[in-house]
Amino acid sequence: MRNEGKDETTYEVPIGPIHPALKEPFLIKFKIDGERIVGAEAHPGMNHRGIEFMGMHRNPYKVIPLSERICGICSIVHQHMFVTAVEHAASIEPTNRARYIRVIMSELERIHSHVLWAGVAAHEIGFDTHLHFTWMIREKVMDLLEYITGNRVNYAMWTFGGVNRDIPKKMYPKIEATLKYYEELYGKLEEIFLGDPSIRLRTIGVGVLTKEEALNLCGVGPTVRASGVRKDVRIDQPYAAYGDLDIEYQLPSLYGYKDTGDVFSKTLVRLKELVQSIDIIRQCLDQIPNEDINSEPKMAATLNKLKKADGEGIGRIEAPRGEAFHYVRLKEGKEELDCWKVRASTYNNLATYAPMFMGEQIADIPIIAACIDPCIGCMDRAEIVDVNTGKRWEYEHEELQRLSVKKTEKLLGGLKR
Amino acid sequence: MMIDEEKLPLTMNQIEKLFQKVLGEAVVEFKKEKFKKGLKGREMKVIWMRVERENFLDAIRAIAYVQIPHLSVTSGSDMGDFVELIYHFHVNYGYPGEETSINLKVHLPKNDLTIPTITEIVPGAITTEREKQEFLGITVKNIPDSRRLWLDENYPKNRYPWRWDEKGMEGMSRYIHDPKESTQKPTSDNPRGGDEDEK
Repeated sequence: MRNEGKDETTYEVPIGPIHPALKEPFLIKFKIDGERIVGAEAHPGMNHRGIEFMGMHRNPYKVIPLSERICGICSIVHQHMFVTAVEHAASIEPTNRARYIRVIMSELERIHSHVLWAGVAAHEIGFDTHLHFTWMIREKVMDLLEYITGNRVNYAMWTFGGVNRDIPKKMYPKIEATLKYYEELYGKLEEIFLGDPSIRLRTIGVGVLTKEEALNLCGVGPTVRASGVRKDVRIDQPYAAYGDLDIEYQLPSLYGYKDTGDVFSKTLVRLKELVQSIDIIRQCLDQIPNEDINSEPKMAATLNKLKKADGEGIGRIEAPRGEAFHYVRLKEGKEELDCWKVRASTYNNLATYAPMFMGEQIADIPIIAACIDPCIGCMDRAEIVDVNTGKRWEYEHEELQRLSVKKTEKLLGGLKR
Repeated sequence: MMIDEEKLPLTMNQIEKLFQKVLGEAVVEFKKEKFKKGLKGREMKVIWMRVERENFLDAIRAIAYVQIPHLSVTSGSDMGDFVELIYHFHVNYGYPGEETSINLKVHLPKNDLTIPTITEIVPGAITTEREKQEFLGITVKNIPDSRRLWLDENYPKNRYPWRWDEKGMEGMSRYIHDPKESTQKPTSDNPRGGDEDEK
């Protein structure tokens, strides 16, 4: 769109909403002045399925599998929050063993989510070898999740008052072996993502989110921790068994780096959280009490209790992408949920896009878009409209990615010289 | 006015006193909850409160005195005669185990569904305010951007998905999971089965 009253011309570049490689459609409209981005605006809603409305017509037990299917990657997150919110509303207490199993499952999922993100980030800046490497090592934790629950995704572990399946002692050696595998590989990951000079060139100082912006825009998760904001629900408001464990806010300053809030800091925070998750799972396996896995094994009894319950509750957890939130209200005599509100992490991080894109180059769009680990992240095509002539060019996703790769190669060429 | 960082984190009683000082009698309901979690029994702290719409912005400012408020989301529902909005705030973040949820409720009567915007105090609230406008049919006064966010432009202008009255989704959705409303068996006229209007 032409910037009226000024000599220079700005162009509007829409990116999205459809791309078959990514799970959800999403659109970002950029205002471009030459190579520089001068404005960014997110347009979500291409895939609004009305899940909250559907939930308000089902009984709580039927909503558990529905909530699990809100997200394809964090299958655990939404069922964990929904179950906690209903337990809060109906005053149901899960057993402590169930709380520990919930923590173990959540941390295994954090490992797989962060490794997956590292691969996507490497791909966006043109390191496909790293993509294949990280996705190869991710298989190990997927196998472990399948070994524990029977499924690679949608684990169906949560239920009101506890969990559906136990993690017996005979499973410990395999869990420990997987943790060891990641511990040994961590050095290599750090070498690739924090040490490689070309990756450093593409990530340091790119997509900066300042601490003030992060706080004012209510951002969540590794996206704001990279800016030095001390927000982590696991520590701030411990849920499940996190209150018993020894956890620290993972900020770049903890490791001698500055809390700059650029893509590099975000990568660093995610990698350090990988190590933290390994530590948390070990602590859980040491401390887990020997109890039943469910405080009320009879589903009919719980359902009856839920029908009589009258109250409201909140469920709040730290998903791999940051804080996520559910609100549930139950009404006495009503089988269905009276009110259900779902809020995923990307919802709050959406607002942080605008300051991060400001002043960056078109070739940096893929890596900055990926750096909040969007759950609705989609790079489809960029369409450039020249308002003076009305001529249109379309940038396919591949073209955009090629531009990004070309930038890395250019930087690498500069290094060699 | 902002509370000294040294005085943080505030206890639930201190937060209650703060609201009493700023709002006085305007706090209609105030409920404190504490839950013990895990083997060590670390507590989770939750406050539920309701204020009248006239004092709503004062209440948001009172929360902003404590810290830059973290707004998780706003949930809303149609309660019959009025629409209830709940602003889920969190304060005392950055202090292990001390974070407190403040769930601030406000009731809007059906004949005047307006509420002032809070984006001047909490800029991150814009997403959730836009969502409430399109899903509940309320009007957020002075909102910087009042366009639709999630719903398609083709969605009818005066119908709102979360309303249970005549402006709701009645007649626009089919409950296929409900056996009473389940589709008809396939016939020669209707080989796919399902309702007539679906053909």
